[in-house]
Amino acid sequence: MRDDLKVFARLLGLSRRYWGWMALGALLSSVTVLANISLLAVAGWFLAAMAVAGAAGLLINYFLPAALIRLFAILRAGGRYLERLVTHEATFRLLSELRVWFYERLEPLAPARLQLYRGSDLLSRIQSDIDTLHHAYLRVLVPVLVGVIAVAVVATVLSVYNSRIALLVLSLLLVAGVAMPLIMRHAGDRSGAWVVETRAALRATLVDSVQGMGELRVYGAAQRQAQQIEHLTRRINAEQMRLSRLSGVSEGSVALCASFAMWGTLLIAITLVSSGALQPPELPMLALLVLASFEAVGPLPLAFQKLGETFAAARRVFELVDAQPQIAAVHTPSPRPLDSSLTLRGVRLRYDNQGPWALDGLDLDLAAGKCVAVVGPTGAGKSSIVRVAIRFWEYQEGEIRLGGHDLRSYRPEDVRELIAVVSQDTHLFNTTILENLRIAAPGADEEAIIRAAQTAQIQDFIAGLPQGYGTYVGEAGVRLSAGQARRIAIARALLKDAPILLLDEPTENLDPQTEQAVLEAIDRLMAGRTVLLITHKLGVLHNRVDEILVLERGRIVERGTHSELMRGGGRYAHYQDYLVEIRESR
Amino acid sequence: MDRSGSLPQSAVVDGKSTENWLRGQARLARRPISLAVALGVLSGLLLIPQAWYLAHAVNAVVLQHASLAEVLPWLWPLPAFFALRFGVMRVSEQVAMRAAILVKGNVRSDLVRHLQALGPAYVQNHHSGELAVAAVDGVEALEPYYARYLPQMALVALVPLSILAFILPLDWISGLVLLVTAPLIPVFMILIGGGAERLNRRQWRQLARMGAHFLDVLQGLTTLKLFNASRREAQLIARISDDYRRSTMSVLRVAFLSALALEFFATVSIAVVAVLIGFRLLHAQMGFEAGFFILLLAPDFYLPLRTLGAHYHARMEAIGAAERIVEILEAPLPQMAQTRARPLLGRDIEIRFEDVHYVYEPGREALRGASFALAPGRVTALVGPSGAGKSTALNLLLGFVRAQRGRVLVGGHDLIQLNPDHWLSGVAWLPQRPHLFRGSVLENIRMFDETIGFAAVRASAQKAHAEAFIESLPQGYETEVGERGQNLSGGQVQRLALARAFLKDAPVLLMDEATSSLDPETEALITEAIAGLAQARTVLVVAHRLRTVRNADCIVVMDGGRVVEEGTHEVLLRAQGSYARMVRAHQVEASEQAHSEPRPPAIGAGGGIPHPNPPPPAGEGEAGGGSLS
Repeated sequence: MRDDLKVFARLLGLSRRYWGWMALGALLSSVTVLANISLLAVAGWFLAAMAVAGAAGLLINYFLPAALIRLFAILRAGGRYLERLVTHEATFRLLSELRVWFYERLEPLAPARLQLYRGSDLLSRIQSDIDTLHHAYLRVLVPVLVGVIAVAVVATVLSVYNSRIALLVLSLLLVAGVAMPLIMRHAGDRSGAWVVETRAALRATLVDSVQGMGELRVYGAAQRQAQQIEHLTRRINAEQMRLSRLSGVSEGSVALCASFAMWGTLLIAITLVSSGALQPPELPMLALLVLASFEAVGPLPLAFQKLGETFAAARRVFELVDAQPQIAAVHTPSPRPLDSSLTLRGVRLRYDNQGPWALDGLDLDLAAGKCVAVVGPTGAGKSSIVRVAIRFWEYQEGEIRLGGHDLRSYRPEDVRELIAVVSQDTHLFNTTILENLRIAAPGADEEAIIRAAQTAQIQDFIAGLPQGYGTYVGEAGVRLSAGQARRIAIARALLKDAPILLLDEPTENLDPQTEQAVLEAIDRLMAGRTVLLITHKLGVLHNRVDEILVLERGRIVERGTHSELMRGGGRYAHYQDYLVEIRESR
Repeated sequence: MDRSGSLPQSAVVDGKSTENWLRGQARLARRPISLAVALGVLSGLLLIPQAWYLAHAVNAVVLQHASLAEVLPWLWPLPAFFALRFGVMRVSEQVAMRAAILVKGNVRSDLVRHLQALGPAYVQNHHSGELAVAAVDGVEALEPYYARYLPQMALVALVPLSILAFILPLDWISGLVLLVTAPLIPVFMILIGGGAERLNRRQWRQLARMGAHFLDVLQGLTTLKLFNASRREAQLIARISDDYRRSTMSVLRVAFLSALALEFFATVSIAVVAVLIGFRLLHAQMGFEAGFFILLLAPDFYLPLRTLGAHYHARMEAIGAAERIVEILEAPLPQMAQTRARPLLGRDIEIRFEDVHYVYEPGREALRGASFALAPGRVTALVGPSGAGKSTALNLLLGFVRAQRGRVLVGGHDLIQLNPDHWLSGVAWLPQRPHLFRGSVLENIRMFDETIGFAAVRASAQKAHAEAFIESLPQGYETEVGERGQNLSGGQVQRLALARAFLKDAPVLLMDEATSSLDPETEALITEAIAGLAQARTVLVVAHRLRTVRNADCIVVMDGGRVVEEGTHEVLLRAQGSYARMVRAHQVEASEQAHSEPRPPAIGAGGGIPHPNPPPPAGEGEAGGGSLS
C-alpha cells in the first residue's frame, strides 16, 4: 500500500504542469454531479409541492423550480461534455510529453543497459504502458477529487436538515467510496497480476508453437502443445471469472449502499415530517438527493480494482527511467586528439559482475593510418572491442587512449564523432534512402550525398530506382538486398567522414559476388583512415592489412602478418579448416 | 527525419462482414447470452415494483400525513427488492462473462488448430509476434463484445419497453414524451457517430503507425547513437505522439459529442416529464403517487441506452481485433490427399526424388525437375548456391510443402500417399536454428512427452555431448530455457537439438547444417556427435561447410532447382565440374592469402586436397579439437 502511494505520488508529480487543467476538470465534473443531484432533488420537491398546492387549491411560485430544473438539466449535460474535453485533452497532452520524457531517459541507456530488453518490450513500454497511465489521471485522480468535493457538499447540505440523516448517508458514502475501493484494490491485485502473468505465458507458448511449428510436427508434439494452450486458456478463464465476480460485487455494492441510504433516510425523515420538523415536500426531495449522491462515488471501486494494472505499467516505465546509464556523461570539454591512433592496454570487460571476461587483458595498438585485423571464433570478444572503443560499454580495467588522451576524458558523443563503424547489423530506418543517409550528416548537401553513394558503389542502383533517393526502404530495410543495405551503411560511414574506422564483420552474410563489390567499396572507404577490421572470414584479409591479431577468450594469442602466422602453424593456420564455407564460383 | 507516409495505407476492410462473423460466433454461447439478457430484463423489471412501493409510501406521508408506522408495510419490502436486484445483477454479470469465455476459448482453439494445419510454410511468411498477438490479445479484445455489447443490444429494446408498458396506462402524456425522445437518441447518436467510425478506423491506423515508428527508432537506437543522431529523434517522437494525441482527441470529441446528445436528450426529457407532471399536479389533474412513480422510473428508462453508448467502443475494438483473426482463419489450408496409408517402412529407408517440381509463386521456382536418391544407411550431402533448391528439398521430405509435379518416394511409397504423422514418426530433424521451447531442458529434449523417462533423456544427452554442460546449469535438467534459448550458447542449443534427435532414434535424419561459426572445441564435439547420430541411418545434410561435404558418402550438387552433379568428393573433383570449381574457389582464396606460404595449390592432382592438417574423418572429431587445444 505504501508503495502504491509512492507510485501515485510520482505520477502526480509528473503531471504538475497540468494540475490547473485537472483542477478545472474536477470542478466541472463536480458541478455536473451536483447538478444531477440537485436536478432530482428539486424535481422531487417540485412534484410534491405542486401536488400539495394542488390538493389545497393554493397558488405557488413554480417559475423558479421549473427554471432550476431546466438549468440543472443543461448544466449536467454540458458540464459532463466540457469536463471530458478538459480532462482528456490535459491527460493526452501529458501522455504525449511523457513519451518524449521516457525516450530522453531511455536514450542514454542504449545499448549497454538495454541489452536484455527486446525492441518489442521497449515499444510496449513507450506505447501501451504509457497509454495505460491515463487511467490514473482520468479514472482515479479526477474522480477522487470530485468524490471529495461532492460528498462534502452533500453532507453539509444534509446536515442543515438533520444530522442523523447526514451521518447515515456520509457513512454509507464512505463505505462505497473509500472502503469498497480499497477492498477492490487489494482483492483485484493478485488476480490481475495472475491474469497478466498467465497471458504472458500464453503469448510465449503461442510464439513457441508458431516459431517451433516444424519441430513440434516432426517430434509429434503439436497435439501436446495445443493442449498446453488450452490449459493456459482455462487458467486465464478461471481468474477472469474471479475478477468478474469481484467487479460484480463492487458495482452492485455501490447500488446497494445507495438504496439503503435512501431507505434509511426515508425512515428518519418520515418521523421528522410527522413531528413537523420537515415540510412534506422535503421528504421526496431528500430521498432523491440521497439516492443520486452516490453517483459521486460510483466509479471509484471499479477504478481502484484496475489500479493494479496501471501501477504495474507505471513501474515498468519507472524501472527504465531510473536505470543508471553505464557511461556517465562528461561535462568538461573533450581534449583535442593529437592523431588518429587507438591504443588498448590490459583492457578487461565483462557484461555482468559474475560473468566471464569478454575482454581479458587486451593489448592492441592501432597506429594512425594503419590497418589492423582482428580474427577469432564467435565469442572471442571481437565485437566487445568495438563496444568499448565507441563508449557503448564501460570497461572495468585497463586503459584506452584515443588520439593520445584517455578515452574517458572525452565526451562519449565526441568519441563517436571521431570513429565510424560499419557492421553487419546496421539498422536501416523505415524511411527514404536519402533520410537514411542523412542520419550520418544532417546538413549534407545533395552533392556530398551523391559522392558518398558513388564511392560506396550504390549510386547506380539508387539512380536506377523510379523514386531515386526518395525510395522508401521498408521496415528494417526489407526492400533492399543485404548487399545494398551494407553499401548504404558504407555510404553513411563515408558521409560521417571520421578519421578512425571500425569494420565489424562488414561482409558477413553476403554472397561472394556481393561480398566482392562491398569489399571494393570498403577499400575506398579505408583510404586515408585508421582502420580496425574485425572478421572471421580470412578471405577478406589478403593484402588489406598491416597486421593480424588472433583473439581468443578476450586476449590476443597470436599476432603477425598472414604469411608469418601461416608459417607458424598456430591457431590462425587451423582456423581455416573450421571456418571455410562452401562457395560457389561462377 | 521525415517518416510520414512511410507506412502503406492499410486496405479498407469490410467492417460489415467482420461483424457478421462476430455475431456468428455468438451461436456458441446462445444460451448464456439469452440468460444474461433475461436476467437483465428481470433486474430492470424489479425496479418497477420498487418504485411503486416507494411512491406509495411517500405519497401517504406527503399528502395523507401518514405516520411511519402506517407506511412501514410499504417500506419493509424494499430491502428485499434491493437484495434481489443485487443478486440478479451479479448472476447476470457472471453469465455474460461465461458467454464471452466460451466464445474466446473456442476462437482461440480454432486459431491454434488452423495455424497448425496451415503448417510451417505459412507461418514462415508471417511475423510470429503478430500471430501471437492475434491469438492472445486479439481474442481477449472480443470479450466485452460478448459480455457487454451483445446483451446490452437486447436490453436496450426490452427494458425501456417494459417500463413504458407501466407508464403509458398511468399517464399517456409522460409516456408519449418518453416514446418520442427515446428513438431520437439513437438517431442523433448515429448522425454524429457516422463520422466516428471513419475516425476510429483512422485512429487504429494512427496507432499502428505510431507503433511502427517507435519500434523503428527503438530497434535502431544503437545505430542512431553511433551517428550521435539519437537526441534529434526526440523531436520525431514528440511529433508522432502529438499527432497521435490529436487523432485520439478527434475521435473522442465525436464520442463526447454523441454522449452529449444522449445525455442532453435524456436529461431534458426527464425535466420535461417532471415539469409537465408538476403542472398537472397543481391543477389536480393527476395523483402525486403516479407522478412520483413516473419520475422515479424515468432515469431508468434511459439507462440502458446510456450504457449501450458506453459499450459502443467495445464493439469497435472487437471488430478491429476480429479483422486480423478472420484473415488468419480464412487462409486456405493446403490440399490433402484422401488416401493416407501407414505402411511399415522398416529401418533401411531409401529416398528418391523423381523429377520433382516446386514453385512458390509464379517466377519463384525452387525445384525444376530434381532427381536424386539417398541410399539407405548412408550420408548424402546437398550442396549448391543459395536458391538452388536445397531447403525446398528438405521441406518436401518434412512434409511442410508438397511436390507439384513429380514424386518423392520413401521406402518405395509415394510421400503424398502417406499419412504425414506416420512418415514423420520415422524422421529426426536438425534445423539450422533449432527452436527451444518455454520449459525445462528435460522437456525440451523429450518434447513434453511425459511417457519418456529421465534415464532415456540422459542417455541421449550423453550421446549428444550435452550432458556436461546441462549438469553445470543452475538446476541441471530442470533449468528453464527461454525464447531462442537466451541463457544457452549457439553450440549448446545445437547439442540439445542433437539430444532430441538421439532420443527419437528415427531411421531417417534430415539436417540443415548450422552456419554460425563456433569455437573449435565445440565444433569438434558437435561434429563427433553428428557422426555418431548418422550411423546406420538414411541421412540428408544440407551442407554449408567443406569438411562436412568431404566426409559424405554421396554429394548431390544442385543449381537452379536441378541436380547438376552427383558422386563422392573424389569423383566430383576429378570430374572438374561445378563442385570442383567451388572447392577451387576456396583453394584459390587460401593460396591468395598464403602468397608466401610454402603450400602448393594442388588442384586436380588426383586424390583429395592436400592440406597441412588433414581433417579427421567424421567420428574422430576429437582429434581435430585436440590439435587446437
